[in-house]
Parts: sequence; structure tokens; C-alpha cells
Amino acid sequence: MRKVWRDVLIFSAVAVSIPLVILLLIHFTPQPPIGAIEHAREILSTAGINRADTYSKKLYTEAKIFYDSAMVNWKKENKRFIYFRHYDKVAMFAELCAKKAGQASENSVSSSSNLKIQLKEKIESLDDLVIQIDELFTTYPLTSEIRNRISKGKILLKEGEIIYNKGQYFQASRKITDSEYLLTESYENASTNLKNYFKSFSLWKKWVDKTLNESKKSRDYSIIIDKFSRKFFIYLSGSRKYEFEAELGKNWVGDKRVKGDMATPEGMYKVTQKFEGSKTKYYKALLLDYPNEEDKEKFRSEIEHGSLPANAKIGGLIEIHGNGGKGIDWTEGCIALTDKEMDIVFRIVKVGTPVTIIGSMIELKDVVDK
Amino acid sequence: MKNKVLMGLAAIVMVAFLSSCGKVPQAQVDATNAAIAAAQTAEAAVYVPAEFTAVQDSMKAINASIEVQKSKLFKKFGPIKLKLDATLALANKVAADAAVKKEEVKKSVEASLAAVKAVIEENKTLITKAPKGKEGAAVLEQIKTEMTTIEASVAEAQGLYDKGSFMDANNKVKAAADRATAINTELKDAIAKVHGKGKPAPAPAAAAKPAAKPAAPAAKPAAKPAAKPAAKPPVKK
Repeated sequence: MRKVWRDVLIFSAVAVSIPLVILLLIHFTPQPPIGAIEHAREILSTAGINRADTYSKKLYTEAKIFYDSAMVNWKKENKRFIYFRHYDKVAMFAELCAKKAGQASENSVSSSSNLKIQLKEKIESLDDLVIQIDELFTTYPLTSEIRNRISKGKILLKEGEIIYNKGQYFQASRKITDSEYLLTESYENASTNLKNYFKSFSLWKKWVDKTLNESKKSRDYSIIIDKFSRKFFIYLSGSRKYEFEAELGKNWVGDKRVKGDMATPEGMYKVTQKFEGSKTKYYKALLLDYPNEEDKEKFRSEIEHGSLPANAKIGGLIEIHGNGGKGIDWTEGCIALTDKEMDIVFRIVKVGTPVTIIGSMIELKDVVDK
Repeated sequence: MKNKVLMGLAAIVMVAFLSSCGKVPQAQVDATNAAIAAAQTAEAAVYVPAEFTAVQDSMKAINASIEVQKSKLFKKFGPIKLKLDATLALANKVAADAAVKKEEVKKSVEASLAAVKAVIEENKTLITKAPKGKEGAAVLEQIKTEMTTIEASVAEAQGLYDKGSFMDANNKVKAAADRATAINTELKDAIAKVHGKGKPAPAPAAAAKPAAKPAAPAAKPAAKPAAKPAAKPPVKK
């Protein structure tokens, strides 16, 4: 009887102690930082959704490294005997990951939002610049290199806009930056060229005033040709009577310097001869007294200073003639009008009529404003 | 005494059995990782980025769950196996979706390339018909330069297409198409204006020069387009 009681007691003790031991074993098992890892993973995922890989690359990469380190350490600890495991490093890396991922996410949202605003402004300003370039330089003889760069700039701007509209601001910024470089640089080059062209404006103004005064005094016709606006004006007694579209030399920017430079000269000239019929190839023509003494002096000076080669020759045979209306600057330095316009000019102009050719009648700032 | 020892051993065996009853479903893990790698190879990150990120996140969660179980005394991988099955299926779907999307973009690029090339050809014809009066020829020169750039851009897009960078090719060809279409409209408008005046489309050299404007009411120099071809160059200038 005693033996039975003893066995029952032992069995009970074992039955109670086994779950107790199990509970104790479970209780003393080191607990991994599951919550911290989960939190880190969620924040990292949010950072990914917020495109931190693009807009906050450094912080996002660091966060990823910390997460991977947490996982590597966790795996390493799990390989050890269960009661020898320490998850402190895992928790530390998870915490660092969450911190960095949070910063990356915040930075990314702010950077992409700022970039979006900046790009929108930049696109608008570049669109304006394109309009300005088109308005100022469509008929201005820019070099083909500048024209190509402007063209490339325009297409890159469009590409940037397409990518921008897809919400890919980082990729769009690259295209738009390239476009900005091409367009701005081309605009600056062209503007410098234009500014240099307008340097003689005060001299041109003097010539215009003098020509108009003479027209008033003599009560006769005078011609003023504005190269920049390609206008051909006829004045009578100082008042404007006619306005035509003129076509100039292919390389009309700047004064004529040498024979064959395709430039239309700037200066105060007079009509020396009138040709029509078989005497001209251009329907009707008015020969000017180019080169005048001033032009000859300037040419000699350029030869002396070496800015022109010693064998350079001065140009001549500059005419106002017909066959114009092509809409392009095509002559070798002459001024072309349509045949109908030439009829009018030929009728009223006589030998000795003053012809003043200038770069522009209006100042550069007014040209830009216009 | 013998009984006590036996019972103690039974308890230890039971604990050992309970603590090692679950094993990591490594084959499933490997298969899922392989499916994710295949999705990456299929450029899922490019064509279906949100879905691909979701798969990656899901796998990260599974990896963490595996470690959670490995950290426990009594492991249970049943729910993880189910998650792995779902993620594997998702990864396969993402790879398939990426392939479909890639094909769509590819077709779109092909269509855009064909369309823009047609517009370029049409523009070349329109240029010859466009009026060249009052700055028209100068504008045409500019348009020609722009057309050269557009053609270069289309060639670049074609190169990107040939390399399989369909997204980049798509952006480039669309920009080129936009510019080419703008030029096409500009040219058609210019030609239509001339036709609208009741005149036939002018030959390249027969320009539609607008009437010269008299500044004073006395004169009426209504100039008409010059009908002559380009003049021969002068002798000395």
C-alpha cells in the first residue's frame, strides 16, 4: 500500500515538474526583438515607397545595411545554443535601421517635393527662354553650332517634361539640367553676339539724325535701311513715306570688312548709278558709293593692324536691287527688294539720293522688350 | 530507481522532440528567392515597380518570421509555408506582369517610332511646299536644323530600343514626336494660310511676300510675291 502511494506521488511529481520545467525553459529563453525588427522593416518599406532609394540614397542605403546587419546577427545568434543567445546587437541594428529609414523617408518626401517645385519653375523659365530665343534669333545669323545646341536643348526640355509628368523628378532633373545648360549657354553666346552688334548704336543714331535732317533741309528723298529689323524706309522731307522688307547679305551681322565676306556694309552712302533692263541681273538696281572714304580708311587700318591679311581686298558693287521677296538673307552684301518695291524705289530715287545703312534704329533693350 | 531514470529520460526526449519538430522549409525559401530573382531579371523593378517592391517586402517578412521561429524553443513553420506559397505565386505573377508590361512598352515604342518617322518624312515634303515669304525662309532654315536634331533623337531612341531600354526609348521618341508634330502643325498652318488667300501652294522659290506697307496714305505700293527664281550671284561684293 505504501509502495502504491509512493509511485502515485512520484508520478504526480514528474507530471507536474515536466510542464513546470518546460514553462521555466520557455520563460528563460532569450527573446529576439521581433517588434523592433518588424518596425524597422515597415519603416524601410515606407521609405522605399517614398522613393528614398532615389531621393535620399545615402540614408536609405545605410538603413538597408542596418536591417541586413540585424538579420545577419539574428541568424548568427539563432545558431547558438538557445540559452546562450544575445539579441542586443539585433535590437541595436533594428533601431538604427528604423531611425535611418525614417530620416530617409522624410528627406525623400521633402526632396522630391522640393525638386518637383524647382523643376516646374525651371521648366516654365526654360519655356520662356525658348520663346525669347525664337523671337530674338530666328532670323539672326547664329552659327550652326549654336542653332544645333538650341535645338538639342529644346528636345531635351521636352523629354524632361515628359519624364516630369510621369513623376520621375530625379530622372527629369537630369534632362532639364542638360537642356538648361544648352539653352542658357546658347542664349548667352547669342546675346553677347547681339550686344556686340549693338555697340555702334550711338553712331547709327547720329547717322539717322543726320540723314533725316538732310532730308528735311533738301525736301528730298532719303533712304534708311535698318539691318536688324530688315526694314527699308524711304523718307521725304524727313517724314517716312514707305516701308519695305529688305533682304541682306547672308552674313549681315556687323559691318562689311572685306570682299566676299557676304556682309552688308554700314555707313552713309549715296546712289551713284541706276541700272535697269540688260544692265542688271536683278531687274533694277541702284549702285551705292561703297566703299566710301571712311570705309577705305577703316580697311587700310585693319590691314595695318593685321586684323585683315595683307592680300585682303576691299569689297564693292553694293547695290539696292530687285529679285527679292525670298524671305531669307541671300545676297552677297546688297540689299534686295521685290521687283514691285524696286519699281517704286527706282521711280523716286535719283543719283545722289542718300542711303544710310545702319545696324538698328531701336536700342537693344527696346528690341528685347518688343 | 530504474523507473525514475526512465521517466527523466522520457521527459528529456519529449522536450527534445517538441523543440525540433519544425524545420525551415528551405526548398520553398530557395524556390521563392529564385522566383524573385527571375522577376528581377524580367525587369519587374522597371516595369511593375510597386508590385516588385511588395514581393520583396513579403519575402523580408517571411525571412524575419523564419528567424522568429528559429528563436523559439518549439518551432512551427506551417503558416510560413503558406506565406511562402503565396509569395512564390506572387513573384511568378510579378515576373509575368513585368513581361507583359515590357511587351506593351515595346509595342508602344515601335508604334511611336513608326509614327514619328512618318511625320518626319511628311515634314520633309511640307518644307518644300511651305511659303518662304517674309522671314519664312529663315524660319524654314531653323525648322531644318530642328528636324536634323529630331532625326538624331529618333536614332538615339532606336538605339535604346535595340538595346532593350524600352522605357528610355519611349520617353525619347515621345519628345521627338512632340517636336516633329509641332513642326508639322506649324508647316501645315503656314501652307493653309497661303491656300486660304485663294492662292495655290507656292513653289519653293515663289514666295508669298506680304504687301509692302506704305507709311503715308499717299502711296500704295502693293507689292506681290516675286515670281522669279533665285537670282544669280553678283560679280563683286
